[in-house]
Amino acid sequence: MKFNNQLKFIGIIVMLLLARLVDAQILITGQILDAGSNEPLIGASVIEVVAPAIQNPAGTITDENGNFSLLTTSSAPNIIISYTGYEDQTLQGIANAPMKIMLSESSELLEQIVVVGYGVQKKSDLTGSVGSIKGKDLERVVTPNIEQALQGKLAGVYVTPASGQPGSGATIRIRGTGTLNNSNPLYVIDGMITPDASSVNPQDVDRIEVLKDASAAAIYGSRGANGVIIITTKNGSKNKEPKLTLSSYVGSQEVVKKIPLLNGQEFARAYNQLRNQEVYKNLDSIGNGTDWQDQIYRTAPIKNIQFGAGGSNEQVSYNFSTNYFDQQGILESSSYNRASARLNIEMKLKPWFTLGNNVSYAHIREQLAPGVVGTAYRMPSVLPVYNSEGKFTDPTFFGLAVANPAADLAFKSNNHKRESKLLGNAFAEFSLLKYVKFRSNFGYSASSATTRTIEPKFAVSASQLNPKDRLSISIDNPDKNWIWEQTLNFFREWKRHTLGVLVGYTAEERKSDFFGASREGFPGDADELFYLSSGNDTTQMNLGGASDEALTSILFRTNYSLNDKYLFTASLRVDKSSRFTPENRTGYFPSASVGWNVGREPFIENLNIFDRLKCRASFGILGNQAISDRYPTTAIIGTGQNSVFGAGENLNQGSTQLSISNPNLRWEISRQADIGIEAGFFDNKLELEVDWYRRNTYDIIAAVPILKHVGSLNNPYVNTAEVLNQGFDISLNYRKVGTVSYNIGGNISPVKNKVLKLAQGKSEIFDAFINNEPATHTIVGQSIGAFFGFQTDGIFQSAEEVAAGPSIGNEKPGDLKFKDLDNNGKIDDKDRTYLGSVIPTFTYGFTLGGGYKNFDLNIDFLGTQGNKVFNEKESFRFGVYNWEQHVADAWTKDNPSTSEPRVTNGGHNYKVSDRFISDGSFLRLRTINLGYTLPKSWTNRIKMDGVRFFVSGSNLWTRQAYTGYSTEFPNGNSPFKVGFDGGSYPIAKSIQVGFDTSF
Amino acid sequence: MKNILKSIVLTSLVLTSCSDDFLDRKPKGNLTAETFFQNENHAISAVNAIYSNFRSWEYCGLPFIGATDVVSDDSDKGSTETDAFYLAQIDDFLFDASNETFSTIWNGHYQTIARSNIAISKIPAIEMSEVTKARLLGEAKFLRAFNYFRLVQWFGEVPLITSQLTEDQFFTQKRESKENIYIQIEKDLQDAISGLPEKSKYPATDLGRVTKGAAKGILMKLYLLQNKYAQALTIGEEIVNSNEYSLMPSYQNIFTRQGENGPESMFEIGAVALQASIAGSGATPYNMVQGVRGVPNLGWGFNRPSDDLIKSYEAGDPRRQATIIYVGEVLPDGATIVQDNPEILNERFNQKAWVPNHAGLQDNGPGNIRLLRYADILLLCAEAANEVNNTQKALEYVNMTRKRARGTNTFILKDLTLTDQSELRAAIRKERRSELAMEQHRWFDLQRWGIQKDAMLSVGKAFVTSKHELFPIPQTEIDLSAGNLQQNQGY
Repeated sequence: MKFNNQLKFIGIIVMLLLARLVDAQILITGQILDAGSNEPLIGASVIEVVAPAIQNPAGTITDENGNFSLLTTSSAPNIIISYTGYEDQTLQGIANAPMKIMLSESSELLEQIVVVGYGVQKKSDLTGSVGSIKGKDLERVVTPNIEQALQGKLAGVYVTPASGQPGSGATIRIRGTGTLNNSNPLYVIDGMITPDASSVNPQDVDRIEVLKDASAAAIYGSRGANGVIIITTKNGSKNKEPKLTLSSYVGSQEVVKKIPLLNGQEFARAYNQLRNQEVYKNLDSIGNGTDWQDQIYRTAPIKNIQFGAGGSNEQVSYNFSTNYFDQQGILESSSYNRASARLNIEMKLKPWFTLGNNVSYAHIREQLAPGVVGTAYRMPSVLPVYNSEGKFTDPTFFGLAVANPAADLAFKSNNHKRESKLLGNAFAEFSLLKYVKFRSNFGYSASSATTRTIEPKFAVSASQLNPKDRLSISIDNPDKNWIWEQTLNFFREWKRHTLGVLVGYTAEERKSDFFGASREGFPGDADELFYLSSGNDTTQMNLGGASDEALTSILFRTNYSLNDKYLFTASLRVDKSSRFTPENRTGYFPSASVGWNVGREPFIENLNIFDRLKCRASFGILGNQAISDRYPTTAIIGTGQNSVFGAGENLNQGSTQLSISNPNLRWEISRQADIGIEAGFFDNKLELEVDWYRRNTYDIIAAVPILKHVGSLNNPYVNTAEVLNQGFDISLNYRKVGTVSYNIGGNISPVKNKVLKLAQGKSEIFDAFINNEPATHTIVGQSIGAFFGFQTDGIFQSAEEVAAGPSIGNEKPGDLKFKDLDNNGKIDDKDRTYLGSVIPTFTYGFTLGGGYKNFDLNIDFLGTQGNKVFNEKESFRFGVYNWEQHVADAWTKDNPSTSEPRVTNGGHNYKVSDRFISDGSFLRLRTINLGYTLPKSWTNRIKMDGVRFFVSGSNLWTRQAYTGYSTEFPNGNSPFKVGFDGGSYPIAKSIQVGFDTSF
Repeated sequence: MKNILKSIVLTSLVLTSCSDDFLDRKPKGNLTAETFFQNENHAISAVNAIYSNFRSWEYCGLPFIGATDVVSDDSDKGSTETDAFYLAQIDDFLFDASNETFSTIWNGHYQTIARSNIAISKIPAIEMSEVTKARLLGEAKFLRAFNYFRLVQWFGEVPLITSQLTEDQFFTQKRESKENIYIQIEKDLQDAISGLPEKSKYPATDLGRVTKGAAKGILMKLYLLQNKYAQALTIGEEIVNSNEYSLMPSYQNIFTRQGENGPESMFEIGAVALQASIAGSGATPYNMVQGVRGVPNLGWGFNRPSDDLIKSYEAGDPRRQATIIYVGEVLPDGATIVQDNPEILNERFNQKAWVPNHAGLQDNGPGNIRLLRYADILLLCAEAANEVNNTQKALEYVNMTRKRARGTNTFILKDLTLTDQSELRAAIRKERRSELAMEQHRWFDLQRWGIQKDAMLSVGKAFVTSKHELFPIPQTEIDLSAGNLQQNQGY
């Protein structure tokens, strides 16, 4: 069926091709280059000069390679080439011979070109809010992950590293948390829509655009509600001559900080206080004990080498790159190693026909460390790593829930993942009529990961043991996706008008599957024996499954500008998703926006203040369907509900409908408004961009609790709740060039998040349960997932004070006092209250850069203000764990502390309260990079274009009040449990030295 | 241009109208509600899934232990002082409606009811053997009745749901009167009695499915709850005279592997530890939560047999030793001695939930959960006979369990010879406690006898009359119901 449709489409193309033969036209082609740098100019306009009487002169703009082709009816037309920031040039067009036209920069600023969905636009013509960053501004951040490289770079784009695990990605929120579901933005890599960008090598990136408002993102309709990140990889078009680049760095990393914990002696004293007896008699003899953090962290090397080659001629432009990246983790037994290659080619085979492709392949080897970050935090410092017999110490004396982290590292580290990732697209572009281009783009991505886990037989304690040696294999193919897009572009400039129209049709399919198997009982210990067939076949287990989804869309967008001053954009995307029933399948996502280049009005020009001034406003409706369930409307029969019958205790297969589904589910909708101002001063050295936005998400798809007596295992997804995000994105940059050049810039994004409505009859959502008490509370009028619990009010100093209350009932002197908020004389559930939000009042980042002669320096800071974090790892104790340093000052009769309660192991003082909540604000020196470029006179002699050496540091300095490694944690996709520090892999600080060369 | 636009519009229309096949996606590897209930296998599978839920955390995990043993005078919370704070609140009667004990058992039991409702509504339309169909419907109805019987004892009036609810009914259910719930339970049990075979008629591979005898047993309990003693005695004696059941010679062995589905077993949920490193698909957390905590490490150490329980045994009653694991005791499998755990004060454990070392970890618990055994029915017969003034019969029944308990030791647990009705009533209740201690019956017995208050106050629990007789409806249910559910008195 769908193949048929494509055939029809091709038929139409053929018809259109024939149509162009009917017109007797000539074709003028050429390339427009910067006279200074020889670099192609993208988006320069080429317009036929015609007598005023003639309507509709021919016109076009140059593509990403600076190339243009113009169809006209006159045989030797005069054409005028113009490009913002450059002097106009008028010349006679020559048919059938490619022209090369050099434009000189005018005194005005170079016009920026911005990649928008399914096309490019001049920044001055934009009516939406688009954040844009060049690849070279990201290169200075040493990370294998493009998501992490974006941290702190753009206003309104808040990046949280998932963890310090080598190769791990990051969570990105654009303009706040807009939904109760997955709030991740959409990633578009060279046109391929992907759920993340982890496979992209940052050094291959040419530019990144972040579509923040409805006008910009609406062309991605159903999935644009949380913003869109468009990543464009490098192509060779900018280099006329083949250009080779080689760059490399090596570095060293270590954990960003250590958490202050009790040393051996302090632990022993606290333990005596806990037991209220002298369990440890001679405290002085105990010493520092074991610093378990030292047992698991290490100084780890990082290496990167990249080779690239790119160039172009009239017909072909290409860029090839290959990269090898190797990062040992700061946590023992963790590493990430990636070898990748990319080939981008574009071939202009006929004046009216271009073919191209972008393909990348990465092979990743990863070692995954066992979860020892938490156990190193908990392991009592009095215990040595090994006992007197030389075996790993059994910590059972202090309770069973903690495992010796050194033993886990020794026995549970044989955990290796091998992953292949392919991402690519191929496209064909036809110039059909004078102003019309047709483009067909096919994208494909596939990733496959095989994880092999070998766990030998071992026993450290009754709870830290593995009775049988085991091999587990899992094969995960999370993404096998294709997308086919057909777009038709009309663009024309005439007189004072510019009109662009885009229509298109896209179809895509996404599939995933997994398979896992295991066996126990292998004939020996050697790694090479651990293949499934050699294990005991009576122990074999396996599992597998799959899911899929499909989406079809129609897109439409039109841009119109008058005099380059008055700008209008309207767009509509119609999406149909397989996740919904046919009745609710179709979603319509329109947007409209206007812009006014006020700076071009005489009354502003005459003020001589602004070099550039633009106001814009947009409004649009976007959708979301990003829930984890691909079949939310289908009632599934759950399997594995087995029962046991018979003397032989046989398993009898059981299955039934476990959960209610909701066939009436429909699209989640987000209404977004944006008003922005862009201004340039002092010859555009100072640039200011301010956006105000309001993002109202309603019909939010959420699995909200229904009454338990309905008997559904899971809550069905329903359309419910309404959330408002409102805020500003502000960025300010100043740049001075000369012998001493410098730039200083910053961005700040204040945001307010507020729940406007919750589900039917539901006034509150409790979540993030700790010690069986909710630690977040979501209600109308507050932010999503706000922290919730008791407010502490000092310490009970005496039995009399306890008796006087208010109390819960079992408190003793030295215990925390809680505030009796409802003044009923006792502490109960009603006294729990709002304890702050994980959402910062504002996030910010700033950059300082400078150059003097051959030296350059770049410094990036980033931070958040006003957010809280919850020290989850400190808040529960199933055994006697080590304590954080502040417990050394615990209340005793002789030390009547008013802030630090007596030493207890769980219970009253571990009820969810502000004791575990800290200020999460931080300011971090994200990168500092100092470079030296060899003088041109030297490098030219050895036939090189440039050689730069650099030394750089990441995360070298942080200011934070919180005791944990950092204030950002990977908390999954639920907005009801964010900001909880459960003890995840910490981030690293690092220093690198390296070089970049080109020849 | 016009033509182009026209073609585009046309093409788009054609494309979109044909795209529905492309967009129709079915779940992979799962039947759906539309494709299920087509044949006998589906019917059996759906009924098996009801049993399966009896092994879940929501059904028989820690909150269930709290709502039966810990809340009663048989046991204390146990485990370390601070673990499972909500259970300490149950133990001390300091709980309120938001205590997770209530929402969890409510959830577990209503999920099981929902599975029963699906089977009961869908199986009749399936073409299959009529005998099997009647049996499966009998099983499903028994299991539904069993759950309502528990809910009505715990919470009093509860929503009575007997079919699959549609979306507009989720939030509108109201509490049904106890009388109507009793009527529904009785109806389901009568249907089950007529549809189910006796235990001996099941093939060996189906041992453990509910039986005619089990249905009669629960019906007997329902009659007793309503003080219908004569009816109770009649149906109890039907069970006795069916000769389907007998007391196992060794009391201690009832709770070992050997006693699983033994001659005394009337209704128990099968569990098995398959080869697995984690909770396998036949496992239950029931054993783990009550297992010895410390050395050997078999579990979490909750449900500590209380001082009051220990005191309640007659001198020399071997059932005390068979019910309680003490520190220093050799475990029933002779494997090891239980050592003191410094984190727990004066620990004891429930031996009836004890299981020996097994495949997988603790949560791969293999112990069958005994829900109804013949001794229970005999003691209920004694109770009913005494209430209808048939002293002789009452003595006959009560002495059966005493005789078995004493074994060959004639110096202990002598036959009762009391003839005063109220003295005999007290003696039967005492015998019942000793026989069934730590098997999650005590709270329901105290409630049936109307002596919860005295029992609770005598062990120093903060029991409040006209409140604590029933548990509170879970606060989350009250909140979500938008006024359709009212809370029990006193909460």
